[in-house]
Formats: sequence, C-alpha cells, structure tokens
Amino acid sequence: MADLLFCSRYPFTAEAREYASTKGLELSSSLIEKAELRLKDALTTGKMKKTADLPSAEEESLILYAACRMIVSSAGNRYLINRYAVAEAKRSSDCLSSDLSARPSYVEQVAAEFGIKYEKSGQHFLVPLAAYLMFTPRSVDYKLTNREVAFGKVRVSAHERVRILEEAIKKRIEGSLPIRAEFPPEIKSAGAHMISLLPKFEAEIIRVGQENYPPCIKKLLEDLALNINVPHTGRVSLAIYLVNAGVSDERIVEFFRHAPDFSEKTTRYQVEHIRKHKYRMPSCSTMDSYGICIAECRCANPLNYRDSLHGRRLRQFEGEKKS
Amino acid sequence: MATREEKFLRKLFSEFYSKCRLTVRQPEKREFGFGGWEKKIEFRHIGVKGEQELRAKLVSDAPLYVSHSVAYFEFPDARPMVRKNWLSADLVFDLDAESHSCGKFTCEKCLEKVKAEARQLIDDFLLSDFGLSKGEISVNFSGSRGYHVHVVSDAVAKLDREARREIADYVTGTGLQFDRLFWNDGKKFFGPKPTQGGFGGKFARAFTSRLEEEEFALSVSRKLRDPQEKAKLKSAIQTGNWDNIGIVSREKKLQEKFDTMKLTLAGRIDANVTADTSKLIRMPNSLHGGSGFLAASVPDLEKFDPMRDAPAFGEEKLKIKATEAIPALRIKEFDFGPLASGDVRELAMHSAVYLLCKKAAVLA
Repeated sequence: MADLLFCSRYPFTAEAREYASTKGLELSSSLIEKAELRLKDALTTGKMKKTADLPSAEEESLILYAACRMIVSSAGNRYLINRYAVAEAKRSSDCLSSDLSARPSYVEQVAAEFGIKYEKSGQHFLVPLAAYLMFTPRSVDYKLTNREVAFGKVRVSAHERVRILEEAIKKRIEGSLPIRAEFPPEIKSAGAHMISLLPKFEAEIIRVGQENYPPCIKKLLEDLALNINVPHTGRVSLAIYLVNAGVSDERIVEFFRHAPDFSEKTTRYQVEHIRKHKYRMPSCSTMDSYGICIAECRCANPLNYRDSLHGRRLRQFEGEKKS
Repeated sequence: MATREEKFLRKLFSEFYSKCRLTVRQPEKREFGFGGWEKKIEFRHIGVKGEQELRAKLVSDAPLYVSHSVAYFEFPDARPMVRKNWLSADLVFDLDAESHSCGKFTCEKCLEKVKAEARQLIDDFLLSDFGLSKGEISVNFSGSRGYHVHVVSDAVAKLDREARREIADYVTGTGLQFDRLFWNDGKKFFGPKPTQGGFGGKFARAFTSRLEEEEFALSVSRKLRDPQEKAKLKSAIQTGNWDNIGIVSREKKLQEKFDTMKLTLAGRIDANVTADTSKLIRMPNSLHGGSGFLAASVPDLEKFDPMRDAPAFGEEKLKIKATEAIPALRIKEFDFGPLASGDVRELAMHSAVYLLCKKAAVLA
C-alpha cells in the first residue's frame, strides 16, 4: 500500500508516480486553475503554497503536481521550468524540514530516492563525496576545501542535509521537463497564459545588434537570458568575446544579471580583470572541448567568425573604396 | 615535408605499435587524438571499434603522440562535442615538473620531486580523504617530466566539470579559509582536532607531530622548551583547544606554520586537466614523441625509475649528430655526453631516439 501522505508531500518520487498511475487520477478545470495559481506564485515569488495535510487534499496535491508539469511543458519555456523547479524543490524542502522530527523515515526515504546514503555522526551527518559534489550549491559555505572530508564522506549539519536533498529534487525536476506530449486544450491555454506572465527582459537582451556573433556566443547569451546556469568556462569565454567585440563593461555585466547566481561585484571584478589582463579568446577547438561549441563554423576562433562570414563582402567593399 | 628524422621515428614507432601491449580501458568509447612532429594533437575526434582497430590505426598512421579522452562517449568520433553524448569519465590528475627550472632535458631531481607529490596525492587525498581504493587508482609516467594519476571509479565517473573543479580546488587548497578553522569563545581558542577530516585535521595532525622537533616547537612558543608545557598543549589540541599555554600572536604563527607545511598540492597539479571532462590525455603505455620514452604504467611508484624503466627501445647502435650542446645524461644505465654541437656519436637506440625526439640531434 502506498503511503498517500508521503506521495503528496514528495510527488516527484517513484512511489508517488506509481500511485498516480495506478489510481488514474483525473484532471478537472478547477484543478487546472489551482495549478495555474501555484505556477503564478512560483513565477512571482519563487515559492509555492504548501497544501494542507488533509486526507482530502492529498490526492489533489498529486494532481496539481502533474498539472503544473504539463502546463510548464506546454509553455516550453526554460525560464518558467527552472523557476518552477526551484519553487517545487523549495516546497518539498519545507516538508523535509518539518519531517526531520515529525516523520524522520520520510527524510530517509527521499534520500534513498536519490541513492544518497547518509550516516549519522553525533549531531551531524556524513554524505558520500559524489552526492555532496553533485547536490551542493556552488558557494563559499559549501566549498569542499573548507569542509571536513574523510574516507569519501563529507560532514554536514541536519539543515545542510535537507539543502542537499532540495538541490537533488530541483535537478531531477529540471531534468525531467519539458514532457514531450500532446496536451488537452485547457492545459495548452494555461501554458499560453503562463507565457504571457513571463518577465519581458528576454527579447531585449537577445536583440543587441548581435547578428554577427558566432552561434556559440549567441547560445551562451540566450542561456544566460533564460536563467540557465552557464558553466564557468562558458562565462569566461563569453566575457572575453564581448570585451573583444567592443562591448562596454557595464553592458557585459548586464548580460550576466540573469544568471541564477549573479553577483554584481564579482562579475564586475572578473570582467575588468579580463580586460586588464588581455585574456585571449579560446580557440574553437578549446570551446569544443569545453562543450560549448554548437556548430561547425570553420573559423578556428570565435573572434574570426564575423570576418569569415562577411570577409568577402567586406574586402570587396574595401577594394571598391580604394579604387 | 617530413624530415628524415620524423620519417625514421615514425617507422620505428609503427614497428613498436605492431607488437606492443595495449592497455586502454574501453577503447570503443574513447575519442583518440594523434600528434606529429609539430603538434601533440594534430588530429582528434578519432574513434575505433576496439583494440584491433586501434592497433591498426597506430601502425598505419604511426603518430608521434597518442592521446585518448578521459571520457567515455556513445559516439566518440561525432562532432561537435555535444553530439558525442558524454557518458562518464575517469578522474585524472596531471603532475608535472616545474617547467622552467631545469631546461629541456629530463632531470632526475625534478622527477623525484614529482614522484613525491604523486605519492602525496594518492596517500593524503585519494585514499584517505576521498576514500578511494588502491584498485581504483592507476599511475603512469607522462613520458616526459611528470606523472598522470587516473581514477576509474563509479564514485567519480559521473561528476561534472564543476564538481571536478571542486576536487581540484580541494587538492590544491584553493579557496581555503584558514581562519575558519579556528574560533574564539572569549575564553578559549578552539581549532580542529586531529581526528577530524579535511585540512583542519591534516593541520592538527601535522602540527602535533612536528611539535616533537625542538626547533619547530620553539618557533611556536619559547614555553615549549618545558616538556610539561609541550605535553599540555598536545593533549589540549586532541580536544580542539589550541591555546592553553598562551602563544604570542598565535593566529599569525599558525597561519605561517600551515603555509610552510605544504599540506596542499597548490600549483602542483594542472587543475584544468582534472576539471575538463573531455580532456585528451596521453594514452598509458604509448610512446611520447618528445622523448621516445614510454608513458609507462607504474605499478609501484617507489621502484619506478623513469630513466631506467621508460625508454622503449633497445641497445642496437645508431649514429647521430648533435645539433646543440647536450649535458651528460644516463639512460638505461648507459652514460653518454656531454656533447657539443656538431659531435657525431654512435649511441644505443634508446639514447639516440631520445636526442632525435628532443630535436637536439639529427641522423648522421
């Protein structure tokens, strides 16, 4: 017998999935509306309301979860998906925090869901190194160098243990979306509605006269604008390119403003550093080995892209001027 | 146009590859890169169906350098990189002799130093901190002036770039906030216990053991001349109380001690190699075109002597002419040199190949 309370609190688990599929839960217009409200909360506040732990609300919670997933999938927008994943993970993390004392077995069960085996050590917990590295935020507080690491385990507090699970949940939800399927009209219209609620900064960002930027650079800019976490190598390459393309520091910092972990001070410092020390643009093959090359432009270096694109035309133009 | 020397070496390498031992794990999932006289990687995105095809390619192309990806891909020869479909990767550490210190010829002292660092990496980090087992770690000589440490383990296989960067940062102590290890509650000065993990524990253990040295103890505090005071401090540190004897300017002193103890491998591994999940790295047991040495697997670091164990070729004679001054060298217990530019010598094949690869001699 599935534990319905557990499933409603942690709807991303295998147990919840199985419950939902065997029960054949049904969508109704009122539930789709509720799901929309949830998503609106997620979009505007980054959080979603907890559902009451009433038996009547438990199945509803599962349906809402499924409905939200369908709506964001139908909308097909990365920003919306990421925003939703953060809020859904936060909701589960609040449940985990209260379950630490009320229903400790639930916490164990969620950890097991991600294959994370904790060991208790006094007031603390020991987490396997790989899980720690995969599921901790990249911040000073979680820097491995400053942690107690021994025999493949990292020591964390009870609170940090929940934070790690929250990150794992977020990653799972992000990774499992969008669902590719044909959705009922009501879901589709809810999806369209969500799109209309998205903040409007994206279009402006991508426009900035970038028709001559190479595909890899365009992609990095798009990812940033869509709040996708671009890896460090990608950020550095992008900043070097923009510096070389004659974009001002101010402007470059603006591009990075939408990174999920944006810090104005750090970004400004790094951009200035790149400019001051004349960092060289990584070659196409280096970009490729970073995993950020997305096309075969045959220009050897992203900085050459503009010339190889327009080279002939520009040279012709120069020639005409001389003659 | 290939020079006579390049042609000669390629022929020699091709023969070598026709009968050598190949030790690549899962070659069908790796990307290979081949290098020549000018570049260590001239061609990459090479895929093979298995060991047999790899050998055939090595014999026919006779590359002077052979690298393979640390990663396993579904489609190793696809381009661009994202189409390869990354599956997992070994975790690799690249330790090199400090490049500028000794010039272009292999220096045994530098190699000894790198060997000690490789040992520190394995013992203090991989085995004890990361909890890996000896069977998951393999070492090979780089073929030139360093060692590569490969970790093949489910515990690390799926780690992404950022996670690997954290590992590299840990090993090099990057971002370490030493003052975070200590705190003051107004009465007592607390710090790490020797039993604890991470750099705190490393420091506490090293510090208490170094207190046995008279000079070290006195540099911490004059009071430690008294054996009773020393015993008192040592037992207090066991409980995390770092100053029950009143050390003058203790924060500064402790930081200084930490810095001199070399508990990290700061600057000694190439962090980019470790972080790069699709890095091409020298294929173990392949030939290094810059030395003619084997990037030999090293089953026992203690016993390995690169100048004795890495040369791949025999003792048949070859006449060469030095094109620059060459210091006295010893390869496989054969001494030769110093040579002046223009000197013609008949040398054992391994030594002659070494000089040709170093571009310090031509065929005579």
